[in-house]
Amino acid sequence: MRQARWLVAVVFLAAGAANAENPAAHGKATYGTAGCGLGSLVFGDQKGMIQVLAATTNGTFGNQTFGITSGTSNCGESAMTTSGTKTFIEGNREALAKDAARGSGETITTLTAMAGCKDEKAVGSMLQKNFSQLFPGESTPVEQVSDSVIKALRADDALACHTIG
Amino acid sequence: MRLLFLPLLCLLAPGAPLAGDAQASGLNSAAPLASRPGAADPSYLPELLAAARARALARDRAWLRLGHWRHRLLGGWKGEADGTGFFLAPGGKTDPEAELEATLRGFFAAGEAAPAGVTLADPSLEHPQCRFPARFAWLAATLPIDLARLPPRDCPRFDAFWKKVSARSATFVFSSYYLNNPASAFGHTFLRLGKEQMAATGERLDLIDQGIDYAANADTNNAILYAAKGLLGFFRGEFSTRPYFYKVREYADFESRDLWEYELSLGPRELALLVGHLWELGQTWFDYYYLTENCSYHVLGALEAADPKLELLSHVRKVTLPADTVKALFANPGLVRAIRFRPSARTQLEARTRGLPAHELDGVGALARVGAWPALEGLPTEARVRVLDAAVDLVDVRHGRDIVDGDKAADSLRQGLLEQRSALGVRSPPLVITPPSRGGPERGHGSMRLSLGGGASREDGALILAQGRLALHDLGDPPAGFSPRTQLEFLKVSLSWSGRNRALRLQDAALVEATSLNSFAGFERRISWKMRAGATRVADAGCPRCVAGRFEVGGGPGLVLGGDWLAAALTADAELLAAPDLHGLAGSGFRPGVGPGALVRLLAGERAALLASGAWRWLPWAVPRSTYDFSVEGRLHLGPASLALRLRRAPRVEEVGLMLLLYGG
Repeated sequence: MRQARWLVAVVFLAAGAANAENPAAHGKATYGTAGCGLGSLVFGDQKGMIQVLAATTNGTFGNQTFGITSGTSNCGESAMTTSGTKTFIEGNREALAKDAARGSGETITTLTAMAGCKDEKAVGSMLQKNFSQLFPGESTPVEQVSDSVIKALRADDALACHTIG
Repeated sequence: MRLLFLPLLCLLAPGAPLAGDAQASGLNSAAPLASRPGAADPSYLPELLAAARARALARDRAWLRLGHWRHRLLGGWKGEADGTGFFLAPGGKTDPEAELEATLRGFFAAGEAAPAGVTLADPSLEHPQCRFPARFAWLAATLPIDLARLPPRDCPRFDAFWKKVSARSATFVFSSYYLNNPASAFGHTFLRLGKEQMAATGERLDLIDQGIDYAANADTNNAILYAAKGLLGFFRGEFSTRPYFYKVREYADFESRDLWEYELSLGPRELALLVGHLWELGQTWFDYYYLTENCSYHVLGALEAADPKLELLSHVRKVTLPADTVKALFANPGLVRAIRFRPSARTQLEARTRGLPAHELDGVGALARVGAWPALEGLPTEARVRVLDAAVDLVDVRHGRDIVDGDKAADSLRQGLLEQRSALGVRSPPLVITPPSRGGPERGHGSMRLSLGGGASREDGALILAQGRLALHDLGDPPAGFSPRTQLEFLKVSLSWSGRNRALRLQDAALVEATSLNSFAGFERRISWKMRAGATRVADAGCPRCVAGRFEVGGGPGLVLGGDWLAAALTADAELLAAPDLHGLAGSGFRPGVGPGALVRLLAGERAALLASGAWRWLPWAVPRSTYDFSVEGRLHLGPASLALRLRRAPRVEEVGLMLLLYGG
């Protein structure tokens, strides 16, 4: 019986310790410094057991950015504006990089519409052609990715992306 | 800004157009309103209060749903909202009448609405009209309210929300269960408010819709505290909104959960009320109960408030399973007007690799492992596109989440593949995926199961057999609507009554039983595994006929053939039995055992299933030194019921039983 109690104590402490390494683990939006990427906004810093539990029970770790009555934050917007386009690129960064390499896909269709460009095929080819400069990998800050994609869309007159003019 | 809020009012005001362009009709009738003086006529309040009382409006089911009041067991009402911001009357939580009157009074309150873009420390800092737009709209239409004597206020904060969602449609989204990811054992449901915008090509732009989610706001990082708090209602459940693409990336991409989308046929009135009501819910919180008042429960509650004709919560049990809430939608004929399927990363990978020749599949494996495959250069361009596209999807299924979390090796592997792919300079053809024929959760059998039947055993003669299960699905149940490779059962109890011994016995009691069958042959090389916790009647000489607590786990390679007609697994098992009279380890009551296990399941479409399982155990320093258990079970599915024939053989058990299985709940 004593052994059982000891075991419970160990499990309990271990469960807590798993997170002790991670004092900032509260998934608070780091909007403003880290853009609207998935890493900071959706997944937070939860790892291992707690992450599994949170997903099982549909728990979140208090992300104020997405409160219904909170003041507006760019990351919650999905409007067809320049800032909406920027949010979209940041939130879909990994999926957009994949579609860009393939020259087609849902994120390119959506990006074309948000930025008000004429033709998604042309947008797809442009992103594919400039893939390496626009999407250099995850170590590049997400805001740099969104800025350079928007710049590239603007620069190409043939794309006629009038929303982000 | 007032113009944006008004569509809600105008749609609900008597005589307003019901169909057509909501935005336009709002704008048209808003113009004269906006030019009226903004002062409310205080002599109007007593009239409205009297009218509401005379018509007993506080007992109207629309009002009761807007306040989420439920009947209490011992009479009276109790509102579900636990945050302070949801009731204007001090006793509003238990008093719908007082709350209705306080709401009407509040609408006449002096003071301005809060400006746009601010987050309020307390909901009471906002004007009641702007805190409760759905209540205002409903009362304005129902009492009705003369908007000349009680002019609607400017509500910049609500207007911004209204504009942000620009709702044109509402869709109920079910994020599938997928047992290999424990995160999705039961599934999750949330709402998507569809925007009016479309692509120039006429395609839907679902990604920029707004997803509305109800989730527990966790405040601990201790896993055990977390589980306890989640079950006991110590977390606050809150509604939140975020662009749908965050949900798609999170669920479909990084958790590999297929999404089933059920578009609801809500009219413009109901849709407007839904948006207004979600705003009301957004300023409060509810105690979150993982099993009962969970995400699925409150999403249904919000829909019921928006359209009082709907009967949703009456179709789900006290323990609210997300899949049951999908069925509740279908219990309202005509409510679901379209079903769409959004494939997860894993489903996309399966579609991309299906039908590839063997050497191309080797290439996919090599590229996803080391980023290079010498034979790639020799292939024609279309084949290179196919192979690289599949390889990137495979990397995403394996490492997607690690990459976002900053795993450098996985990131550079993916980056290298993407650069190779982009260098080909060819567009990938669209990936067409048809929804799985087994269908969504609406096609699934009821999760509760009751079985009755008879049998015979060598030891006990004729038997009456009974079994009850609370949830959810086993490998022999009708496969429609469920993952065909997954068993997940909670609270299952099997009893038998022997005429010869005149004894009622507990045969088996499971707290939880789970099995996940996976093909070890494919790319993912995931093992199959199983887990059982509960109690069972000991079937050998270790403690004849006594009931022992049992915990068992096992894992090993499996095989799943196309169409799931054959699935099998060979596992290495470990189990622990415990009972006071058990001749266990060195004479103690604990009996550990290890040994091989095997499981085979044959499916004949959706009509029949055959399950065979066997296990042998070495029992160190125990009596006896080994044991075994074999069983074969055939099931025939006949609509809402199934027939099961089962044979079992263990050292002290030889039994055959025939049972009728009834699904419900």
